[in-house]
Amino acid sequence: MTAIVIENLGRSFVTTTGTIRRTQKTVTALDNVSLTVEPGELFGLLGPNGAGKTTLTRILSTVLLPSSGRAEVLGLDVVRDAKQLRPRIGMVYGGERGLYWRLSGRDNIQYFADLYLVPPEVSRKRIPELLELVGLKDRAEERVEGYSRGMKQRLHIARGLINDPDVLFLDEPTIGLDPIAARELRTVIADLHNAGKTIFLTSHYMYEVDALCQRVAVVNKGQIVMMDTPAALKQLVANLEVVEVECLSVSSEAINRLRDHPRVEAVHVDNRDQVQVLQIQAPGGVKYVPEFLHLLDGANIQKVVTRQPTLEDAYVKLLGKDAISV
Amino acid sequence: MISHFLGLLRVVAASFNMQAKERATNQLFVGTLLILPVIFTILSVSTYIYGGKADFGLYAVIGAGMVGIWNANLWTSGRIVEGERRGGTLSALIAAPTPFPVVLVGKSLSNAVVSLISMAMTFATGLIVFRLPLDIENPFAFIISLLLTLVAMTSLGLVLGSFFVLTRNAGAFIEVANYPIFILSGLMFPLTILPFWLKPLSAALAPMWGNLALGVAAGLVAGNPWLIDLYLIGLSLIYLLIARALFTQVEYRVRRDGSLETF
Repeated sequence: MTAIVIENLGRSFVTTTGTIRRTQKTVTALDNVSLTVEPGELFGLLGPNGAGKTTLTRILSTVLLPSSGRAEVLGLDVVRDAKQLRPRIGMVYGGERGLYWRLSGRDNIQYFADLYLVPPEVSRKRIPELLELVGLKDRAEERVEGYSRGMKQRLHIARGLINDPDVLFLDEPTIGLDPIAARELRTVIADLHNAGKTIFLTSHYMYEVDALCQRVAVVNKGQIVMMDTPAALKQLVANLEVVEVECLSVSSEAINRLRDHPRVEAVHVDNRDQVQVLQIQAPGGVKYVPEFLHLLDGANIQKVVTRQPTLEDAYVKLLGKDAISV
Repeated sequence: MISHFLGLLRVVAASFNMQAKERATNQLFVGTLLILPVIFTILSVSTYIYGGKADFGLYAVIGAGMVGIWNANLWTSGRIVEGERRGGTLSALIAAPTPFPVVLVGKSLSNAVVSLISMAMTFATGLIVFRLPLDIENPFAFIISLLLTLVAMTSLGLVLGSFFVLTRNAGAFIEVANYPIFILSGLMFPLTILPFWLKPLSAALAPMWGNLALGVAAGLVAGNPWLIDLYLIGLSLIYLLIARALFTQVEYRVRRDGSLETF
């Protein structure tokens, strides 16, 4: 049986503005999304902020209803069979919210063990195992308010696993974590996948889905732009070279001049503190570096490097201007 | 069936403990529980003494205790839901296999039991500050009425709680609803001074019947306390049925509107 089946799923939200003369606006968060995830697969949903990743996760984890289409998890309809589905899935949202900060890590997990009706004899054994898995065994009795962001995130994972779910939804689990904490969390996710769990992971970090996922769907503005293996996504940019130009004051006119260059396929601007890094994708890009620099005259160029394309570049190519800085 | 029921009881107990642990760390809640009843008792009893009705002292003490209990219940149904929403735990609770009202019952009962401290504080204030003779005519009926009042107020709290899941402004609603309910329930002034057209509204409120049952058991009002207790039981059942129906609708609406995380 397929673990997740999504057919023509749509979701829109109505927002209102104004106090006395209220005007309504409908925002489409998901537009005709279809995909499947096989049992034991680690599937990634990649996209910029506002692409619809969290909306899809919330629908699949039964806390949000779709506006159109249908979705099944473990053969159960997420709308009609929510009651039967909930004990069999786990969900982990990114960020620090969603925990009882004034209680200890152990109390948090114990409470959700009770809510999921995990038999006491099972939870007595499982809770220490989960605390060990996420590296919180020695801090389990401390209040969550004293935990670092990474520790809270790992506690989220432990909580999401308390019912030993068949399918685990991870919504941007490494968001806001420092590189070491994010790497530790990715190790936990990889271990869960190796243990046979079906995992649905959303992220806007390309290297994360590249390192973890067997297949990935790139989503933008509520629609799936492409769905394949990370290797196949990289093939999209296999013939390209990437020229990275670090500058202090590049104008939008200069960027447009670059985009109009006949050999340039995409230009992505990444704002990093005081500098802007232009990632210029072009076949045989190295040969055209002098031309690119000429077009960027006055941009106060600090550094120029060329490199082979990565999954991130495939993402930039697919999303164009909608790709965000990562 | 039995194991399912036992499982739900376990959730009620877990939510009860969880709430007690959380509240124990909340100084504002402790303040509400300990200080507010004392202030209300002093104001209320002083008003009656100044008005030449010192024999209404016990009535004022019971009323002030009921105010404390009701405050703790509104805290439960309103602030808890609002707190869960702000803390991001509301969607996790709704997504759990246990029905959310069962969680709320546990948390409400926890606050209700703790709110008995309010009643103790008002009696202590009456005895120590005003040296009132707080003689209860039928102590056994008084205790039973007090427990049934807690159940009825918790049940009414569940009805309000369903609205609080829908609204983002439970706190503002609590502020607005508090004092009209005190007045309509006769917690601040005797019901006899209320106009006739307000009395049906009073009859639908658990605090009014609770206050009456305690007054009768204490010997302040003529009547049979057990009959009023029966009414409290019936009212609790009606509240629970309404709460159950409302929660089904409310859960559907928050899933439809995507409002579990908005505040």
